[in-house]
Amino acid sequence: MNGYERYFATLDGGTPDHPARTPILMRWAAEHIGQAYGAFVSDHRVLVEANLRCARDLGIDQVSAISDPLRETAGFGGKVAIHPQTGASCEEPPLAAALDLALLQRPDPASSLRMRDRVEAVRLFKAKVGGEYSILGWVEGPLAEAADLRRMDNLFMDLFDGDEEVAALLDVCTDVAIDFARAQVEAGADTIGVGDAAASQISADLYEEWVWPREKRLVEAIHAMGARVKLHICGNITHLLPGIARLGLDVLDVDHLVDLATVRAAVGPKVALAGNVDPVKGVMQARPDAIRTAVAACRERAAGPFLVNAGCEIPAGTPLENLRAFCQPL
Amino acid sequence: MNQNLTLLQSAIEAGKRKDAVALTRSLLDEGMAPLDVVEQALVPGMSVIGEKFKRNEVFVPEMLIAARAMKECMVLLEPLLVAAGVKPKHTAVIGTVQGDLHDIGKNLVAMMLKGANFAVHDLGTNVPTEKFVEAAREHGAELVCLSALLTTTMPAMREAVGVIRAAALPKVKILVGGAPITQEFCNEIGADGYSPDAASAVDKAKEVLSA
Repeated sequence: MNGYERYFATLDGGTPDHPARTPILMRWAAEHIGQAYGAFVSDHRVLVEANLRCARDLGIDQVSAISDPLRETAGFGGKVAIHPQTGASCEEPPLAAALDLALLQRPDPASSLRMRDRVEAVRLFKAKVGGEYSILGWVEGPLAEAADLRRMDNLFMDLFDGDEEVAALLDVCTDVAIDFARAQVEAGADTIGVGDAAASQISADLYEEWVWPREKRLVEAIHAMGARVKLHICGNITHLLPGIARLGLDVLDVDHLVDLATVRAAVGPKVALAGNVDPVKGVMQARPDAIRTAVAACRERAAGPFLVNAGCEIPAGTPLENLRAFCQPL
Repeated sequence: MNQNLTLLQSAIEAGKRKDAVALTRSLLDEGMAPLDVVEQALVPGMSVIGEKFKRNEVFVPEMLIAARAMKECMVLLEPLLVAAGVKPKHTAVIGTVQGDLHDIGKNLVAMMLKGANFAVHDLGTNVPTEKFVEAAREHGAELVCLSALLTTTMPAMREAVGVIRAAALPKVKILVGGAPITQEFCNEIGADGYSPDAASAVDKAKEVLSA
């Protein structure tokens, strides 16, 4: 089996020869090919080369366009700076001072520089390794993107203030995520990752009221394009699982703070669970034999379709031998 | 207990800022001492919400709106406290370490410390290491709080602890926190205390200052 076949065997209820490996690699991937992270987030050729080298050197089964959370923010008109070592940042989010949607541009994946660069990454993956590896596109979820535009603390207080404008902001973020996903699917992505990191920090009630309906609309739109959906929410999502289980996901990334058996009980037998070794203590700082044991334990706790992953991004500086142990076939 | 104090505490817990400010005005109009308003309503209100946060009964948004309500009450109270000669018990400097732009956790800790009658000098995010030393010296701080959200900025926290230790600031204690930070990392870099969340930070700050 190649990586593409292994990944889809897992998602489609088949029997992969061993679990597919889908770690989140950004800073580490740039380091691996001797490039600055700033180049990784701003030049799709660097991102593609880094992913392909990681896939080939480590036996990873999916290549990914994930790089940083500020592609769409730049499209909305946010001033995004690229730093060689720390990557992309937006020190003055466009709505930080006022929740006024008139301050935003409407992003276009075909013309926004940073969004187009990600689409080009997917297109290059498709040309180079289509059918050999799964290709993961990436969009920001509605809450995460709204937080990038408004600042997370302001947005969280807006949710309580219940202004109509905050609903409109979340809606436009969902619309843009759908547009961006469509451009990546058309370029060759077989799966779209949705990063909605901020959601773990809100209550189940707020999630159900403000976020779930929009995530559901995004998931259904991506499925209608013919692609699969993976949801990644950093942090502890145990309290959100009843809602997440109703989203209709194909893959759920699970951070290390969450018990995989609890997730399995909540989401049922079909969703592939990706995770959830602690990226710092369990991968970066652990010994290779302990890493192998931890990955095997995750598979056991997942008790069903399973993808090898850490709880979140593999940290820069993780020793190569640790990642080799992490990716060694189970 | 004064009914308005009870109502004010409840308003803080619920993050109802307009009610909280109106009740603070009423209490001051009734002649209550500003320090009593802080200690008998605002601080208990923040403590209750902090305890709920520790037990995962409320989340960051509820903490933020409670902190916002308290902050708006303090706009009324702070000038009166200063005029009455009420001084904070302790002085702290707080910031997110160099290279890290995240500030929600740091802001919550700052608000919790203010609620516990600390004078807090917030240096913001992406703070150069030497700024912590300069600010601690300038304000006579006994506590420096360092925050980091990213694993990639943990080395900057290590460096900051080293520089603060190397400076001639013998009475300064260092508190660290943030998502990737652990007690083991705190011990390894030689900080005095680690707090896993904003609500625990006040207890830990008092603990390290009394050690």
